[in-house]
Amino acid sequence: MTPNLSNFQFSSKPEDDMILIERAKQNPAHFAPLYKKYHDAIFRYVFKRVDEEEAAYDITSCVFVKAIINLPKYEYRGVPFSSWLFRIAKSELYQSFRDKKAKRTISIDSVQIGRVMEEFSIDENEHKREILLKVLPLLKDKQLQLIEMRFFEKRSFREMGEILELTENNAKVKTFRALIKLKALYAQHNPLK
Amino acid sequence: MIKILVNRTQPSKAEIAKRQDFNYILSALPKKNLLYSPWFYGAIGFSSLAGLFLFLLAY
Repeated sequence: MTPNLSNFQFSSKPEDDMILIERAKQNPAHFAPLYKKYHDAIFRYVFKRVDEEEAAYDITSCVFVKAIINLPKYEYRGVPFSSWLFRIAKSELYQSFRDKKAKRTISIDSVQIGRVMEEFSIDENEHKREILLKVLPLLKDKQLQLIEMRFFEKRSFREMGEILELTENNAKVKTFRALIKLKALYAQHNPLK
Repeated sequence: MIKILVNRTQPSKAEIAKRQDFNYILSALPKKNLLYSPWFYGAIGFSSLAGLFLFLLAY
């Protein structure tokens, strides 16, 4: 039976998640509070990376099905449960790109473009913005993931490391390298250097 | 080719919440095969022993 969630208070403490996880390991129906807690975040993560909203809902469902199946293997080793779910989401996304069920997409808004241009120390204008959007897909996917997480989703290096299975320092170094690469691509494609 | 969507409208929190369906998630879980369950072998074992016992008792 699905537990009643109407009076459930969500907490961000990993210990509270652990209690729920241990209960869900005994009975998948007890996963409901975790589903309710993380559904929105996982959906938004997926939605930003696929072109169709319906595909994003389908992939989000697959993420939670996989999470329940693999829950007995989950052990808390300093990586928050949310990051473990994001890892599953990342792998489900790439599976759907391989199966051609979804198209790899970058969802970006003007403010985020401005943030990247600020990092490059260049003045923002329509033409420069277009060049940046043209060169973004030319990055390797791993580099693109880092740029996406850092500049478009404002994640900390620690969280990025947890999701991408890197150390915090490694995430920092790789993001810096990705930024240098993006800057080089931008310079190559900008006729008004 | 990677698609870039600028200033895309995101569904609201309420819209996303409306699409939550935990019963669907539970129904999508793979069903446990009875053959791999210890209960199945327990029941088979118990009924075999009971049958043997009744057989011996009858003769």
